[in-house]
Amino acid sequence: MLYREAGQFKASYKEDQQIFPIRQDRIAIALILAFFYLGVPYFASQYWLQGIMIPVLIFSLAAIGLNILTGYAGQLSLGSAAFMAVGAFAAYNFVLRVPGMPILVAFVLAGLCAAAVGMVFGLPSLRIKGFYLAVATLAAQFFIVWALTKFPWFSNHSSSGVITAQKVVILGYVFETPEAKYLLTLGVVTVLALLAKNMVRSSIGRSWMAIRDMDVAAEVIGIRPMHTKLMAFAVSSFYCGVAGALYAYTYLGTVEPEGFNLDLSFRILFMVIIGGVGSIMGSFLGAAFIVLLPIFLNISMHMLGDWVPQGLASNLELIVFGGLIIFFLIVEPHGLARLWQIGKEKLRLWPFPH
Amino acid sequence: MQFFFEVLIGGLLSGVMYSLVALGFVLIYKASGVFNFAQGAMVFFAALTFVGITEMGVPFGFALILALGAMILLAIATERVVLRPLVNQPQITLFMATIGLTFLVEGLAQGMWGASVRGLEIPGIQDEPIEWMMENTGIGVSKFDLFAAGVSAVLVVVLAIFFNKTRVGRALRAVADDHQAALAIGIPLQDIWRIVWAVAGLVALVAGVMWGARNGVQFALTFVALKALPVLIIGGFTSIPGAIVGGLIIGASEKLGEIYIPPFVQSTFGIETSLGGIEGWFPYVMALIFLLVRPEGLFGEKHIDRV
Amino acid sequence: MSNGRQIGEVILDLQNISLRFGGVKALTDISFDVREHEIRAIIGPNGAGKSSMLNVINGVYRPQEGTIVFRGKKRHDMDTHEAAEAGFARTFQNIALFKGMSVLDNLMTGRNLKMKSNFLLQALYWGPAQREELAHRRKVEEVIDFLEIEHIRKTPVGRLPYGLQKRVELGRALAAEPKVLLLDEPMAGMNVEEKQDMCRFVLDVNDHFGTTIVLIEHDMAVVMDISDRVVVLDYGKKIADGTPDEVRNNEDVIKAYLGVAH
Repeated sequence: MLYREAGQFKASYKEDQQIFPIRQDRIAIALILAFFYLGVPYFASQYWLQGIMIPVLIFSLAAIGLNILTGYAGQLSLGSAAFMAVGAFAAYNFVLRVPGMPILVAFVLAGLCAAAVGMVFGLPSLRIKGFYLAVATLAAQFFIVWALTKFPWFSNHSSSGVITAQKVVILGYVFETPEAKYLLTLGVVTVLALLAKNMVRSSIGRSWMAIRDMDVAAEVIGIRPMHTKLMAFAVSSFYCGVAGALYAYTYLGTVEPEGFNLDLSFRILFMVIIGGVGSIMGSFLGAAFIVLLPIFLNISMHMLGDWVPQGLASNLELIVFGGLIIFFLIVEPHGLARLWQIGKEKLRLWPFPH
Repeated sequence: MQFFFEVLIGGLLSGVMYSLVALGFVLIYKASGVFNFAQGAMVFFAALTFVGITEMGVPFGFALILALGAMILLAIATERVVLRPLVNQPQITLFMATIGLTFLVEGLAQGMWGASVRGLEIPGIQDEPIEWMMENTGIGVSKFDLFAAGVSAVLVVVLAIFFNKTRVGRALRAVADDHQAALAIGIPLQDIWRIVWAVAGLVALVAGVMWGARNGVQFALTFVALKALPVLIIGGFTSIPGAIVGGLIIGASEKLGEIYIPPFVQSTFGIETSLGGIEGWFPYVMALIFLLVRPEGLFGEKHIDRV
Repeated sequence: MSNGRQIGEVILDLQNISLRFGGVKALTDISFDVREHEIRAIIGPNGAGKSSMLNVINGVYRPQEGTIVFRGKKRHDMDTHEAAEAGFARTFQNIALFKGMSVLDNLMTGRNLKMKSNFLLQALYWGPAQREELAHRRKVEEVIDFLEIEHIRKTPVGRLPYGLQKRVELGRALAAEPKVLLLDEPMAGMNVEEKQDMCRFVLDVNDHFGTTIVLIEHDMAVVMDISDRVVVLDYGKKIADGTPDEVRNNEDVIKAYLGVAH
C-alpha cells in the first residue's frame, strides 16, 4: 500500500479538520494502538513491561506536559519533576484521607493540585521571559521538594518523606501484575495524549503558539497573555501531576520527594528537545529515547567487558546526553519528530525522487 | 547581637563566592548574549582538574597554570562546537545548548578525574577564626573566608582594568553594546568569544579552588553554583557591580534566613519538626519576589519593546 | 475615491496626545480624528512618530497625556485587549506573524476573540467546540479566497516570501472582522506588482466591508491615490491635516517632507 494523499479529496472542512486527515495515517495509528494494547502485553516480558514500557509511557505524559508549556507556549521550565512530585503526593493523600476515593478520580484531583501549584509558580511568567523564567521555575523545583520533605503531613509522618502507593483498585479489580499496570498506564496516557492533541489544534493551542511566536502581535489580535500563559502552566502541570501519580502508583510503588529532583526535570526537558519541541508525537519518541539510551549504554559497556573503568557508564551517559542536546539543537532543532515528518514526506513521493 | 553579626559576616563572605560564579555569567552574557548555564559545571570542571593535577605531584602554582590551560582549551572548544554553529539562534536555544554543555562538562570532568570527593588545601590559609578580631570584638571570622574575599576583590579589580584599559577590553565592550556594529568595524567576533569564555574559565577556576578548599571538591559544587542564578536576577544580568552586590545580598540573606525564619515559622504555626535547610530554595524565592518588583534587577537596564 | 461608500461620523478622535520614552519625546500634543468608512493616512519622514501613533491607538503604548474618544467613549488610553474587542486590528511594519504556525492557523488566531467554547470542550473536540471551529474555519476561508492565498493555506508562514507574508498578515487582521484596520506600511519593501495587489486589497476591504482604515505609508503616489484624508507628522508633531490635495500644497509639508522626496 503506497503512502499517498492523492485522490483523497476533502469535501468539507470537517473532513479536512480531522485529527489525522490522511487515510494511511489513520490506518497506521490504528495498527500502532492495536500493537500496544494487544501485542505488547501478550509478548513483552515482565522486565520490558515494568522496566521500560511503563516508564516510557509515564515520561511521555510528563514530556507532553512540558511540551505544552515550552514547545507550544514558549515558556521554559526547569521544574517539571517538582510538579510530578505534587501529583504523586496529592494522589497518595487523596486515597489515604478520603474513604472510598476511586483511584482514577484521585489521579484527576492530583493533576488539578499540580495545576494549581503550577499556576502559582507560573505567575512570574506574566512579567518575565526566557531564561529569567527558567530561573524562576527553579524556585518551584527546590521549594516543592523541600516542602514535601519537611512537612510530615504530606507523607503521613513517614521518615524522610517516603510514601508507598496504595493498591490500585478499579471496580473491584486489583491492578497488580505488570500487564495490568501497563494497560492502565497506557489507557490514561492514550486519553490524555488525545486530549492534548485536540487542545493544540484548537483555539487554546493557537493562543499558546501565538504567544510563543510573537507576544505583542498576539496581544494586539486579542489574545490575553495572562490567561493564556497561566492556562499553559495549569494544563502542563496537570499532565506532569498525573504523570507523577502514575510514577508512584504503576511504576515505582515507593517514592520520596528527593526522587523528583532537578536531574529528573532536566531529563524531561531533554525528552522534549530530542523528541521535538512543539510535537505531541515527539514527546513519545523523546521519552523512549531517553529511557532506552542509558540501558543501551549499560549493555554496550558490559559487552566491552571488564577493562572498562568503574563509573564510566554513568559519566558516559552525562556526556552522551549533553552532546546529543547540543547536536540536536544545532542539526535538528525540531527533534526526532521532524525526522519522522521528513520520513513521511519522502514516503509520500516514493519511489519517485521528487 | 554578636551572633547576628557573626552570621551576617559569614553570610557576606560566602556571598562573595556566589558573586564569583555570577561574575562568570555576566562576562559571557555581556559579550555574547548567551546565558551560560554551564558556568557552574565549569567551576566543577576547573576545581576537579586542578585537584587532579596536584594529585599527580605538580606544585600548587604550576597546577593553577595547567588548570587555566585546560579552561582555555574548554573555551576554544565551546566556541567552535557550540557557539559558532548556533550563532543568530534565539537566546533560549543557546540557553538550552548550555544546559547540554553542563552535562557534557560534568561528565568529562568526572570521566577524567573520577567522581570521588577530594580535599583541596591552599598552602598557609586555614579555616580558623582571626585571633585579634575574636579577642577584641568576640566575633568569629574565618581567615579563609577573608582570604577568599580578598582574592575576589583583586580579581574584580583586575577584570575592571582589563575591560576599561586594554584594547581587547574595549573591543569586548563594543561587542557587548552592539554585535553588528562591532562586526562592521572589524572586531573578530569569534576571537572575542573565545577570550570571554576563557576569562570566564579563569573566574571559574578561582571560584572552584576557593570553594573546593572550603567544602571539598565534589559534584555538589554544581548545585551551589546554581545559586548564582538568583544572584543575577537580583543584580541584573549585565552588571559586574550587580553580580557583586547580588552575591552579597544572597549570601547574607540566606544565612540570616536559615537562622531566623524556621524557628519563627515553627513557633507561629506550632510545627514541631525541624524546618531547616531553607537555604536550598530561599535565594530562588527571594529572586522571584525581586522579579515581581524590579524585573530588570538592581543594576540592569530597563528595556523597551519596539514594534 | 469614494466608490459609493458613505463616509460617516467621526468614530475615533485623538485629542492632545503626548508620548515620551524616558526623556525622549515621541509624540507631542497631537490631535486628529478618523471618520467611519474613510481611509486615513499618516505620513511623515522616518522617526516622525507614525508607528508610535498607531501603537497609542491600539494600546501597545500608553500616552502620558491626551484623550482618546472611540465611538463616543472617552478614555485616557486603550488597553490592547479592549482595543481588539472594540474592533481594532492591525498589521506591523516589520511583519509580526506567528512564524511557527501555518497560514490557516495564523488567520484562525484572528478569530480567537470570537471563539467562546471552553477549553474542556476543545480538548474533547466535541459538539459545540467542533461546530464552532468549523464555523470559524469557513469565515477564514472567505478571507483566504479574498486575498487569493488558497495555495499556501497549510504552509508555515516562516517559509513564505516577504510579499506573501505581508498579505497573510493583512489576512490575520481581516479575519478578526475589524471596524478599524490599522496598517503600518503595508507596501514597504514590495515590488510594483505586489504594491498594486496590496492597493487593490486595501481598497476592496474598504469598499466591500466598509472597514475604516488608518494607514502609514511611505509611497507618496499610493497615499495620495487611495486615501481620503492625510495627517502629516514631523518630529512627533502634527504639521498638516487635510485632503491629499490640501496636504500636497501645504508649505510646511513640502519643506519637511515632500520637498526632499521630489
